[in-house]
Amino acid sequence: MEGEIKLEGLTKRFEDVVAVDGIDLDMPPGEFFTLLGPSGCGKTTTLRMIAGFELPTSGRIVLDGSDVARVPPHKRSVNTVFQSYALFPHLDVADNVAFGLKYKRLTKEERQGRVRAILELVRLGGFEKRKPSQLSGGQQQRVALARALVLAPRVLLLDEPLGALDARLRKDLQVELKAIQHDIGITFVFVTHDQEEALTMSDRVAVMNNGHVEQAGSPREVYEEPRTSFVANFLGVSNLLDATAEADGDACSLSVGDRAFRAEQGATGARGDVKAMIRPERIELEPHGVAGQNRLPGMIEQAVFLGGSHEVHIRVLGGELLKATIPNDGRPQAVVLEQGSPVTVHLPAAGLRVLEPSPQPAESAAEAADRPVSTAPSM
Amino acid sequence: MRPLRNPQGKPLVLALVTGLYILWSIVPVAIAILFAFNNGRSRTTWQGFSTRWFTGSTGSVMHDPALQGALKHTLILAVICVGVAVPLGVALALGLQRWRGRGGGTINTVMLLPLVTPEIVMGVALLLLFLRVFPGLGLGTEAQAIGQITFTISYVVVIVRGRLTSIGREYEEAAADLGAPQRDQLLRVVLPLLAPAIVASAAVAFALSIDDFVVTQYLSSDASTTTVSMLLYASARGAPTPALNAIATVALLITLATLALAFVVYRRFAGGREAASVAALEV
Repeated sequence: MEGEIKLEGLTKRFEDVVAVDGIDLDMPPGEFFTLLGPSGCGKTTTLRMIAGFELPTSGRIVLDGSDVARVPPHKRSVNTVFQSYALFPHLDVADNVAFGLKYKRLTKEERQGRVRAILELVRLGGFEKRKPSQLSGGQQQRVALARALVLAPRVLLLDEPLGALDARLRKDLQVELKAIQHDIGITFVFVTHDQEEALTMSDRVAVMNNGHVEQAGSPREVYEEPRTSFVANFLGVSNLLDATAEADGDACSLSVGDRAFRAEQGATGARGDVKAMIRPERIELEPHGVAGQNRLPGMIEQAVFLGGSHEVHIRVLGGELLKATIPNDGRPQAVVLEQGSPVTVHLPAAGLRVLEPSPQPAESAAEAADRPVSTAPSM
Repeated sequence: MRPLRNPQGKPLVLALVTGLYILWSIVPVAIAILFAFNNGRSRTTWQGFSTRWFTGSTGSVMHDPALQGALKHTLILAVICVGVAVPLGVALALGLQRWRGRGGGTINTVMLLPLVTPEIVMGVALLLLFLRVFPGLGLGTEAQAIGQITFTISYVVVIVRGRLTSIGREYEEAAADLGAPQRDQLLRVVLPLLAPAIVASAAVAFALSIDDFVVTQYLSSDASTTTVSMLLYASARGAPTPALNAIATVALLITLATLALAFVVYRRFAGGREAASVAALEV
């Protein structure tokens, strides 16, 4: 199967700023692969290197077994859907979609047939003669998608393609995009800063920060088993604790201040100063006065009823503020969920995770290097 | 309570000053145009309406050989100037846009120098150049054309670069991404998008060439290289007839028509704000 990308030690330096710092990633063929991270993390630079608009400082981009890092963009069988679509304003929809077909050996009839078929696929049949300025944002997005897909690339690159759309349209197009990817079965490399988008659409997510990949895995893995505090925080809400780790059988004993907790998840082999995390939905609240392992007293500082659940902020002995999500499961609550109630907070050992330190950031923070101005190799 | 003054009330003083200024700047031109239609030899006393100085059988724009020659020479210079300055300027703008290495800033500054150099300095410098450094070329039509091209090219570069900057790199990248080699990125995407700026810069170059006096005067040789502006200057203090007003009117109309065309084309394709800046450049 075609469309496999391997990034090996890929690095991009802009003068003294390291935007991408030696990343290694395997993008298996036919998968929906997402690069997720805050702006400035290097995700867009990585995508632009795969497309060929940026020349890597070092490292390899292996597409189906051959290194394409130095191949100019017009000779790579990858195509891009740009963040602002970049539809040619002087051409109508059909000519935009047919733009790249000129470089394929096709007869005029074949070209017209492919344009028609792809416009049907993105549900834009009948819009052939419109100019891009006469289309809505969602329609422009679909033309950009059709223009790239009509060339049957081995890999489709998408640079925050839903970023400019309103929330509702965004949701619809997320579903549609995922369905198209599933139907045509080519590799999608998708860049976004929206964690929800990444979790719902992807087969695999690479979380990036400061030019490094902090963690790559299935959406379930990166959410359920974050390795670093950055990943834990970027995907969903988490409670982070500074702790000292000691051995405790095959688990790990964490000292937070003068209290000790047993943690069974994550880097339980770590020793010394570590960060630990627990998701709000894993925290359990018990009546005041209950004693036992991994329990500590606290006081509710804020309780917000959200319908399906309660969001509760608890100030625990020692001063930390923990966030807990208590499901509204219809059963009587064990504790009174209102401001000022004393409670016992239970941090189950099966939900407490020991984190690894983040990779060292590049010497000068790669801020603002997400979309740098620079010369591409081909022009 | 005291009634509040409307802070957005009509600024009467401002309106008055503006009105007076417009009147002051338009009236002389209007009078000059008016006397182009005078039915008599006077340029100060109105003797009735006539088009004799445009089309009459003697001494009119259409039949006086000196006026005819000046008008023809002016237009020839303008066409040469546009024909050379625009392609060169577009190429320079494209090159400068991509030049990110050392020296780019210097070249940039040098490109803009003609916009701020006093024209008289430029004229003298060019005169010395043609007399001393390249005496083989000599003065005359070629020298005049080269002189005009030298400074109009800067305007072309400024206008085209402005448009290039607002277009951005993304369309070129999209074209490359879709398989277009460099030549096609230029021909199928960049040049069509630049078309309004190219038309606008051609019009500005044309107008600048027709209006120019200092450089054109310095680099002229004999009577055959006299332009409308030179003729006006030379004979304004001699024995002028309304025919001079008539030829000035013709030159003015050509300039205005070209600029209006450029403005319309540019606004149609590139949006109003940039068009205004092009119009402002000409002033």
